[in-house]
Amino acid sequence: MHLEYTPEQDAFRAEVRAWMEAHVPKEPLVTLECREGYDQHVEWERTLASGNWGMVTWPEAYGGRGLDLIQWLIFEEEYFRAGGPNRANQNGIFLLGPTIMEFGTDEQKKRFLTPMAKGEVIWAQAWSEPGAGSDMAAISSKAVRDGDHYVITGQKTWSSRAAFADWGFGMFRTDPESKRHKGLTFILFDINSPGITRRPIRQLHGDTGFAELFFDEVRVPVENCLAGEGEGWNVAMATAGFERGLMLRSPGRFQATAKRLVDLYRTHEAEASPAAREAVLQAWMSAQAYAYNTYAVAAKIMAGGKIGAEASLNKIFWSELDRSMHRTAMQLLGAHAELKRFDDGSVNQWLEGYIFSLSGPIYAGSNEVQRNITAERMLGLPRVGAG
Amino acid sequence: MDMLLTEDQLALAETVRNYLAGTHGPEVLRRLDADGNRDPAIWQGLVDMGLTGLLVPEAQGGLGMGLVDAALIAAECGRACLAEPLVDTAFVGVPGLLAQGKTDQLADVAAGRVTLPLSHAINPWVADGAGVAIKSVDPMRNLAASANDNADPHLLNLGALMSAAQLVGLADAMLHLAVEYAKIRTQFGQPIGAFQAIKHQLATCAVAIEFAKPVVWQAAQALQDGRDSAAVHVSHAKVAATDAAILTAETAIQVHGAMGYTYEVDLHFWMKRSWALAGAWGSRAFHLKRVDDAVLGGALPIGPEHTFA
Ligand SMILES: Cc1cc2nc3c(=O)[nH]c(=O)nc-3n(C[C@H](O)[C@H](O)[C@H](O)COP(=O)(O)OP(=O)(O)OC[C@H]3O[C@@H](n4cnc5c(N)ncnc54)[C@H](O)[C@@H]3O)c2cc1C
Repeated sequence: MHLEYTPEQDAFRAEVRAWMEAHVPKEPLVTLECREGYDQHVEWERTLASGNWGMVTWPEAYGGRGLDLIQWLIFEEEYFRAGGPNRANQNGIFLLGPTIMEFGTDEQKKRFLTPMAKGEVIWAQAWSEPGAGSDMAAISSKAVRDGDHYVITGQKTWSSRAAFADWGFGMFRTDPESKRHKGLTFILFDINSPGITRRPIRQLHGDTGFAELFFDEVRVPVENCLAGEGEGWNVAMATAGFERGLMLRSPGRFQATAKRLVDLYRTHEAEASPAAREAVLQAWMSAQAYAYNTYAVAAKIMAGGKIGAEASLNKIFWSELDRSMHRTAMQLLGAHAELKRFDDGSVNQWLEGYIFSLSGPIYAGSNEVQRNITAERMLGLPRVGAG
Repeated sequence: MDMLLTEDQLALAETVRNYLAGTHGPEVLRRLDADGNRDPAIWQGLVDMGLTGLLVPEAQGGLGMGLVDAALIAAECGRACLAEPLVDTAFVGVPGLLAQGKTDQLADVAAGRVTLPLSHAINPWVADGAGVAIKSVDPMRNLAASANDNADPHLLNLGALMSAAQLVGLADAMLHLAVEYAKIRTQFGQPIGAFQAIKHQLATCAVAIEFAKPVVWQAAQALQDGRDSAAVHVSHAKVAATDAAILTAETAIQVHGAMGYTYEVDLHFWMKRSWALAGAWGSRAFHLKRVDDAVLGGALPIGPEHTFA
């Protein structure tokens, strides 16, 4: 174990810092969950790509920089230090990208990865259905083979960014006789294909963060299928591992929130309770613990290891940390907590953050499901029913 | 920058784990509890493995290893609920002496001939020292009254760090005991471990433990490196490990039902050691205060770019 960065790592940090300081928008962007904000965020993806920062860990051939995971962590730290915007393409770069890297053909890698890294194509994840939330094996949207195409019929829901995004990656039942995990196929589709209707859904905060997608005999070429027909479940489990595991929520995000919380506490110290003070310290400690753990996982992966059921522990930890940090901030803000904008006109980001933090324990596999997985796969407790 | 525990480090810890699992199981704890609570044969076994000399420099007949290695082994001692004063002597006392440049006793420590009862102002007792006996809730702890005027901050950090390391091992062991019990105890026609209320509580313990561990290892390295900020990292480790162990202790007894409330079921040995070490070498409140002084006091830089400040 070495707790010192190498001179090369320090130089890389300085490079990222300089670029971020020069390019991160001074004013926070409008929320990603509306047309105007979405466009601003896509613009930001392209600005990032212009500096070749789209996805630093990917090979240069696919629009990346071929960097290792420690450099990725440094990049993320500097990204959040600079207050970088949410990534419009997060489901593409953090979830689908690594999945294509693992399961895609060379042709698919060339076709999909570079435009993703460059922010030219924004992706939405289309797994959930009205009848298939936690129980994803209950997916019923169908993809029927017809020559060189699949014909898709059915409905997806809660698809983040799908109100505006370009492409989607979904799970569809290709074998009509199949049950549960078998007979599902992972298919990439252009959301502007004829037969797809998007219906935006208003979220808790009032904006349209996600959308329903209705498929009416949508024709998708067979070459858009990832790994083979019927392999969908295995592919999706790998994607879910990326989602819960290392990349979706890097530690810098929570360390930045913890630091802002410390600053907020300082301005409310006179009236704050000792309990609030302890919650603030807990925020710093937990965000740091998450960072140390992520560095340890990164080191393990770089040494050839894999993440298994720990991905579930990770997801539980960051989502509950995020919620408790924002809850603490809301308590410190008192009567200002409900205000959408503060007196100086700035957006109440704690309120927005608190609302969003309430979804963390639900998306990416609910925390109840993660606790089931932890108990059964890591601790070896008996499985009963479908849990 | 590298948070990796090397294969050698993990292999050594595993060797110690297997050795203790084979020679220091629950039946040994019960025997010790009934009969004098120390056993020269157990001590000799630890000496023979080289553990008393782990941190003693090679020149004095030791292995010359570092605090991360020691913390990993201290966790194994916690897992086994080891009663012999190995951690105090070899992982706290030895580096404490080394930091003061005192090497004359080290060869004897490495050879197992001398133990180092540690007196410090933070504790109202000396463990395994001479003096009027004081009773601990932990039947395996031998405490004695002492003057305790030593205020050496480095010794305090070493004691707190190694307590934290033992606590994560204790927590692991209690989680394991509860999981194994939940697999075999049946009610309502199924193992209680199939009930989600049980699963989820145990999963929550696993989260607390897994996220306390890297805090402890990183604190060990920070102290080894002599970083200015080492004290706050040690305190963070003590708080995180204490919380994980106390949560797991309370959960484990709940999962055992009334069985957990008996002296007969072994869980109590681990639980009581956890209570003892939670308070030893600075309480949770003491260590939280040190984190507070650094973080809210402003001495420690915080934020995403200061992960390893
Ligand atoms: C902000 C947000 C963004 C999202 N983005 C996307 C997206 O981009 N693409 C996409 O496909 N989906 C997305 N989702 C959907 C998300 O994946 C689902 O909400 C999630 O899988 C849970 O499914 P559900 O909402 O149907 O809840 P349900 O499955 O109905 O669960 C309701 C409650 O029951 C509990 N429960 C369910 N099963 C069990 C069990 N076996 N044991 C114990 N408790 C159980 C759950 O934990 C939860 O508390 C998003 C959701 C949110 C909130």
